[in-house]
Amino acid sequence: MAQFRLQGSKVLAVDLAGDTVKARNGSMVAYTGQMGFKKLSGGGDGLRGMVTRRLTGERMEVMEVKGQGTCYFADKATEINLVRLNGETLFVESDNLLCTEASLRTGTSFTGLNGMASGNGLFTTKVEGQGWAAVTSHGPAVILRVSQGLPLRVDPGAYIAHTGNLHRALKSGAGWSTLIGEGGGEAMQVEFTGEGLVYVQPSERMTLGGEV
Amino acid sequence: MSYPPQNPYGQQPYGQQPPPGYSQQQYEQSHQATQAGMPLPPQAPPYQAAPAGQFGAPLFQPPGGEGPQLWDAGTLPANDNVNPYCFSVDLNGAYYLQKGKMIAYYGEMRFSGIGRGALDQLLERNFNSPLHASDWVVAEGRGKLLLADRAYDLNSYDLEDGNLTVRSGNLLAFEPTLQLKQSIIPGFLTLIGTGKFVAASNGPVHFVEPPVRVDPQALVGWADCPAPCHHYDHGYLHGVLGGLRHLTGIGGASGEEHQFEFIGAGQVLMQSSEALMADRSVGVIGAEPGIPGAGVPHQQQQHGGGLQGLGNLGDLGRRFGL
Repeated sequence: MAQFRLQGSKVLAVDLAGDTVKARNGSMVAYTGQMGFKKLSGGGDGLRGMVTRRLTGERMEVMEVKGQGTCYFADKATEINLVRLNGETLFVESDNLLCTEASLRTGTSFTGLNGMASGNGLFTTKVEGQGWAAVTSHGPAVILRVSQGLPLRVDPGAYIAHTGNLHRALKSGAGWSTLIGEGGGEAMQVEFTGEGLVYVQPSERMTLGGEV
Repeated sequence: MSYPPQNPYGQQPYGQQPPPGYSQQQYEQSHQATQAGMPLPPQAPPYQAAPAGQFGAPLFQPPGGEGPQLWDAGTLPANDNVNPYCFSVDLNGAYYLQKGKMIAYYGEMRFSGIGRGALDQLLERNFNSPLHASDWVVAEGRGKLLLADRAYDLNSYDLEDGNLTVRSGNLLAFEPTLQLKQSIIPGFLTLIGTGKFVAASNGPVHFVEPPVRVDPQALVGWADCPAPCHHYDHGYLHGVLGGLRHLTGIGGASGEEHQFEFIGAGQVLMQSSEALMADRSVGVIGAEPGIPGAGVPHQQQQHGGGLQGLGNLGDLGRRFGL
């Protein structure tokens, strides 16, 4: 059973006792003990996953880390958020997924045109099962709860992940004024309704919708 | 995943319930004015332990008991920092914000670009900086609005019948009770009046009393009435040897010859790094004589055919008669 803990807020320490975790390729910064690093082709979801990832463009360069000792992971000094899954599904942008326990399954999920308009791609990565996952964010993530009657709208560039029973829909504020360059600057929003949690980072990626 | 059937916040309208662990007293303390006209920014509320497993949500619970905090429309602070990098506005009416700084919101809001007909009246009163109009939007509606900017530190400042000048890229949002004007110094905006505004800095902001010289890249803004001026250290560029050094570049420069100097009464705001926001092109100020930064050359080039490439050290070459 791999033990996930945070060393500070930007380094993930995983204690391994002969078991494996999947981590983003090249994210190891240090380790003690004996470790083996094996690149997994195509995101580590087997042949089918590999084909899916290639087709969907939701690429993940993943390595399998196996050994005895403690392995430290970090990614460009971004903040790390640990998420414990007990059979729930975590939807996360593939750029923000740092490390998952071997017991978790990863796959891709179709987000429809919402994803495309927001510049995050048509697909998002899905993590499900029992275990720990580590999600990175630029600046500490703000966790926002969505419940019935209280929908949340998020800038697509700040969205990193969500869990729970959420429906997401694109909300567009773009109109004729956007076309003549007098838009509100927030033309694309993702609306979450239902029950669940949304992880938002205090920073915005460059998205297609971000500039209009 | 299952959530409890009844939801403790869902029925409550916005702003009815003080956020748990964040009493009114604390709020007032953190907003206490330390100086007339220019209070220091409030501290972010301390992080709270998460309501353990209350929502059946997959949250990290370290053994110490302190985990990430869950927020929703009821628990988000009103006009205060959520964490050092994220600010929550309790919107009820209108608020000005820079484009692209909204990261999320609860409630009903509309974002409209400045220059739209319906907002003309508001703009006449508050927005006197036409060059920057394309960078700003007005948020209208009710709800909680979260602002953030590239994970920079955010602080809110309360002006009481005061004035504060800030680098245009660092200003994130302001209440419509304030007036925004373009500073005479190009690239800076001045806020006048009473109200709250939010500004970003790379690293925590520091308040310094003049007289002080600051690095141009570390300057965020200034309040009240210090006189800002340029200061050049080129003592070691004097004389024949210094002139040679300047012309040939032999010996090099420290990179700190140019500073901003502030004298007078007031406060100077500095950030803890020299990272600047990327300057947006805002166009040129109307071409009239006597306006700094306008497109008009304020002095004819007297030394036509002189040495080029002398850098910007105050056109030093001219002083050597080159």
